Amino acid sequence: MAVFRWGSALDAFRDMEREMDRVLRNMDLAFEGLRIGRPHPPVNVYELEDEFLLTAELPGVRTEDLELSVSNGHLVLRGERSDPQPLPEERYRRSERRHGRWERVIPLPDRIRDDQLGAEFVNGVLKVHLPKAPSTQPRQIPISEGTS
Amino acid sequence: MSREHELPGAPQPPAPPTQRWVCTPPIDIFDNGEGLVLRADLPGVSGDSLELQVQDNKLTLFGRVVPQAPEGARLIHQEYRVGDYLRSFILSEDVDHERISAKLTNGVLEVVLPRAPQPEPRRIQVKTD
Repeated sequence: MAVFRWGSALDAFRDMEREMDRVLRNMDLAFEGLRIGRPHPPVNVYELEDEFLLTAELPGVRTEDLELSVSNGHLVLRGERSDPQPLPEERYRRSERRHGRWERVIPLPDRIRDDQLGAEFVNGVLKVHLPKAPSTQPRQIPISEGTS
Repeated sequence: MSREHELPGAPQPPAPPTQRWVCTPPIDIFDNGEGLVLRADLPGVSGDSLELQVQDNKLTLFGRVVPQAPEGARLIHQEYRVGDYLRSFILSEDVDHERISAKLTNGVLEVVLPRAPQPEPRRIQVKTD
């Protein structure tokens, strides 16, 4: 540690860039390359006894900036993550989080009661509940015997 | 994005230790003129399940998540993994540790790291006989 600090205090501040998890981050960056072109947001779908559950991670999105709709058997997720205080690029030491508008259209299975969807959004995690339609009875199709 | 390993230094729960996913959350760090601001995406983390620790000059964030689906749910389509978040940073000595503050909103953590005021360079008079 220098006894005299003649230089700018800012230079020393830049040392924060040195991180413990550099190796781990590099792995992430390698993975990031593969992620380009993937639909956003990524979703998971679970099956429960009486419903399907679709989840998506949307940190930093406000509920009022999130829009869900169903049309023609498709679930449409639309939203925006806005930057609360946009700053010039040179102010950033690191910029890994993305901002902007996105839209994703997901086909729904036939077995969904799409008039009874429900959704909740807590701590940046969206959950869409897709209730299953009551299973229909198998229908016999009569086969008429023709004369040959 | 994720690795499966035991958390280093994390308190071990009394329950049989189960392996959990640990993710490195994406972050932004920018200078707001008075210091640095760090933002990290931690979806699924609540204020109660987030630990933010400064020890010596190392800032560590650890966010524990709860499963996003109820027990018994069967994962039929997966595009992302759910895991706890862990990342640590070395703070420069200019950070005023006493004034570090943090808030968590909609799954985004914001940590404000104010710069400590620097004393003015002091001129030392040299006496001559």
